[in-house]
Amino acid sequence: MKNISPLNFVHKVGKFGDYNKKSENNLLKISEVNGLLIHQITQYKNSNIDISIIKLDGLNFPSPLKSTSNSNTRILWLGPNNWLVFSSVLNLIKKEKNKFNETNFAITDISHSRTIIELEGSLVNEVLKKGCPLDINSLKDGDCASSIYNEINITIDFISDNPNKVRISGLRSYGESLHYSITDACLEFGYEAI
Amino acid sequence: MLYIKCPFCGYRSQKEFAYGGDGTVKRPELNQNISDEKWNEFLYLRKSPRGKHIELWHHVAGCRQWFKVQRNTVTHEIFQTTKMNEEIK
Repeated sequence: MKNISPLNFVHKVGKFGDYNKKSENNLLKISEVNGLLIHQITQYKNSNIDISIIKLDGLNFPSPLKSTSNSNTRILWLGPNNWLVFSSVLNLIKKEKNKFNETNFAITDISHSRTIIELEGSLVNEVLKKGCPLDINSLKDGDCASSIYNEINITIDFISDNPNKVRISGLRSYGESLHYSITDACLEFGYEAI
Repeated sequence: MLYIKCPFCGYRSQKEFAYGGDGTVKRPELNQNISDEKWNEFLYLRKSPRGKHIELWHHVAGCRQWFKVQRNTVTHEIFQTTKMNEEIK
C-alpha cells in the first residue's frame, strides 16, 4: 500500500510571505518529516521493571519533559510511564521487542496517525509563541513538551539550539489545519517550504 | 486565564487543561446495595461552594494525567495541586 503524506495537498515547495530582501540563512524553513516509525510505549502501573536499565537503540528513556536521541532515533517523554519513539530504523521495535514483555509494557504503532512538521531558523521561537502558551524561551535543545498550537494538540521536540530547529507532531487528521496555522504564523517573517 | 501547576509538567496555561468537577465525590463501595437516593446523590448532586474547593483537572493537552487542585472559587487563587493518590492538606 502506498503511503500518502498527511500534508500531500497543502505542503507546497517554494518561498512564501515576506521573504524579499532576506538572506537565505535568515529565512524560516518548513519541511514535512516522512518515513519515520512512531511508537508509543507505555509501562503499566503495576509493572515493577526499572525503566532506567532498559535501552532502546542504545538510548535511555528520558526523564520528564526531556528527550534522548541519536542519529536514527528520538525518544520523547509524553507523560508518566509514557514515551514516544521516532525512529528511521524500520525494524527497531521488532528487533528489541524482547526487552518489553507484554505483562509490563504496551507498544502501539502510531506511525500512520501522526504528522510531523519541522521548523528551522532563528525565528522559530517567535512562530511558536504565536499559537502556543508554553514559555518557549525557557525551552532548549533536549527538551520536549506536549501542548497546543491554536487549539490543536501537539508535541514539540526541541532538536537543536544552533540553528534553532524543532519538530512539531500532531494528529494526522489535524495535519492540514496545523500546517495552515504554522505557515500562517510564518508569513510575517517569510519562509521557505522545502 | 488560570496558571495551573501540573504535578508532572509544572506550570502551564489553563488552555491545556480540562475541568473535571468536584474532587471530593466518592463512589459508593462496589457490590454494596445502596438506595436510589444515595446513587442519585453520587451521580448528580454537587455542592457549589464559595471559597476553597477541591477539584479534579485533566492535563488533556499535556501529560494526560488527572490530578487534584484546591482552588478558591471566588478569587480563582490556586493553593495546591497534587497527584490523584496524594491528599490535599
